[in-house]
Amino acid sequence: MKVTRLVRNYVLAGCVAGVVTLASVAAIPASAATSTFVIGNFNPFSGADASFGPEMIAGCQPAVRLIDAAGGVSGHDFTCLQVDTRGDPADAVPAANKLIATNSTLEGILGPSADEALATAPILDQAQVPMFVDTGQAYFDKTSLKYFWRITPADDVKGYALALWAHKVGYTRAAAVFGNDAGSQSDVPTLLKAYKKLGGKMVSNQVIALNQSSYRTEIEQMLATHPQVIFTEVDPQTAATFLSELQQLHGLIPIIGTEVTLQAPWLKAVTGALGKQAMSKYFTGMQPYAPTSGKSWSTYNAALLASKGSVPNPSQWSSDPYSMTYYDAVNVMALAMIAGNTTDRSKYNAFVTAVTEPGAGKTVVHSFAEGKAALRAGKKIQYVGAGGPIVFNAWHNSAGAFEAARQSNGNVALVGEITASQIASLSK
Amino acid sequence: MSLFVLSIGFGLITASILAIASVGFTLQFGVTNILNLAYGDVMTGAAFIAYLVTRAGGSLWAALLAGAITGSLASYVLNRFLYTPFVRHGTRLFGMIIVTISVSLVLQNGLQAIFGASFFSLVLPRTASYGFAGMIFTGQQLLIMGIAVVAMAVVHSLLSYTRLGRAMRATAADPELARGCGVATDRVVGVAWLMSGALCGIAGVTLVMNVTSFSSTTGGSFLIPVVAAAVLGGVGHPYGAMIGALVIGLASEVSAAFVNPAYKEVVAFGVLVVVLLVRPQGIFAEIATQKEVVA
Repeated sequence: MKVTRLVRNYVLAGCVAGVVTLASVAAIPASAATSTFVIGNFNPFSGADASFGPEMIAGCQPAVRLIDAAGGVSGHDFTCLQVDTRGDPADAVPAANKLIATNSTLEGILGPSADEALATAPILDQAQVPMFVDTGQAYFDKTSLKYFWRITPADDVKGYALALWAHKVGYTRAAAVFGNDAGSQSDVPTLLKAYKKLGGKMVSNQVIALNQSSYRTEIEQMLATHPQVIFTEVDPQTAATFLSELQQLHGLIPIIGTEVTLQAPWLKAVTGALGKQAMSKYFTGMQPYAPTSGKSWSTYNAALLASKGSVPNPSQWSSDPYSMTYYDAVNVMALAMIAGNTTDRSKYNAFVTAVTEPGAGKTVVHSFAEGKAALRAGKKIQYVGAGGPIVFNAWHNSAGAFEAARQSNGNVALVGEITASQIASLSK
Repeated sequence: MSLFVLSIGFGLITASILAIASVGFTLQFGVTNILNLAYGDVMTGAAFIAYLVTRAGGSLWAALLAGAITGSLASYVLNRFLYTPFVRHGTRLFGMIIVTISVSLVLQNGLQAIFGASFFSLVLPRTASYGFAGMIFTGQQLLIMGIAVVAMAVVHSLLSYTRLGRAMRATAADPELARGCGVATDRVVGVAWLMSGALCGIAGVTLVMNVTSFSSTTGGSFLIPVVAAAVLGGVGHPYGAMIGALVIGLASEVSAAFVNPAYKEVVAFGVLVVVLLVRPQGIFAEIATQKEVVA
């Protein structure tokens, strides 16, 4: 009797335990079992640099679309989370802390930009969040931050590209017109050094205050030195005011700008002020080599154009090298997770170079889907993205070649190239 | 051609835009004692309406009129339905500054949400350049200076020769006494907001005519020199704001000719600091320090 009761009690307890276990398994929401991985888009979405954020979203959304379509990573989908830094460290630091504290599935970050990188990169690094930054500050050329990755050229590299293009075209007298912000000014020392080394003379070097209502006095000063060409990087509104006043007062002279001047907001602002004809005649921009052709770019562009619901007017970002590199960054993070067989952000970070480095016997892949399939097949891969090959140095910086581009009938058209070896030999 | 003379000409253009904006700013402040830091964003709002007008094929004059009406209505509505309730609930000087900063942020982000984080240009015909006494002006710049002169003349006539002007000056000097003397101060305050808003709208349109490309933050970034010109002239004093605008405009352009242009704002504000050290009440006597906010 006692035995029977004991058995019955055990059976009952077992049933209860089973029901409880089944209930608790059923209570795990589907999202927790295969939760969505968050990629923070940590950039200004409001304030003076509000145009940065949409450019980043235009890279993240197509990447996430393709990753999810290929089954994600370990069954996890991805999402792009917009985090507005307002371009101000005072806003960016609490935003970074909140992002880290409130997102348990935060897998990585695009950004920060030059506006907030100095203040926030150490915070993100300490939290072991891989970040693919878009700051060009030379401060990070030899950074010791372990989770910092830069796949766009540093600002000081741009100076070499500008000087080389001017030399190639035959300009021997130039004026530098750069904004007084840290990002723009970091281009100038290498530009001055390189242009002099190539035999050119910098007849005027103007550091201009941003967003003034007038630059006419600065223009008169600059023109008094008779430059053949203007090197420039300033924000869109300042550029529109400066160049339209130059056009009104004495007419334009050739302009060579950094990649900032090829971005959609800059082109819209300045073309609106100068007119399309003047832009195509006088303006050339130097941007990281990101040809709008090839397998990687076609995949990126198709996904971008299909992301109309989350990226307004997506075609404006088709040839934007920054949007392309953000797209590549998300792919690299996802592939590194597969290569490392871990979704722990503090661990997959060590596998970033494993999926980007060239190497003998490696399979070159041009998309996340290709890379995932190759890794699953036990192959080693080199991801070559929409922005081209990615080769990190010891300080997690990757800089490649530059292209010269011009506006033609409202589109940006490639007119020439500065190779990575030309830059390397000039920078010695 | 002397760079000094050229820079004076350029300074006059900057001063013209500043004068329209700072007179509007100080006119309203003089009567109400509310430091409206959303002023720059109302300028931007007016500029966006002017942009829509020119895009729809409207003339520059239509754009200016639309900008003035937008600024006027926006300022009146802000005061009537937002600032006045706060004042009536006992919010005072510092509290009202915080309220106007909040309004500024809401307006700026609202404009960005509506028009996008991009840049816009008024659709205007290009004009020729003209030389005068060693200075160079484009047709549009001459127009901006003309608009400023007319606006200043209208403000002067209104304040000096009309009952409304006298009522505004009385309210600005002592609202209690003015009310006791039969001045309908409520109505005067409403008119002050309408006038200030009209000047704000015109300033917004002339600013974007001059800078040629603008975004949702353009007016806000122009607010500091506007407030500086008003402070320099003696806060609440329209004639002082005119002089203040002239000093700030000329100082910034002339200094750019002789020192690093990156510091032209620093030089202009250096002049402001020096003047205020010598004459803390500004160039003209201040009338607002002992007043409370008025609604």
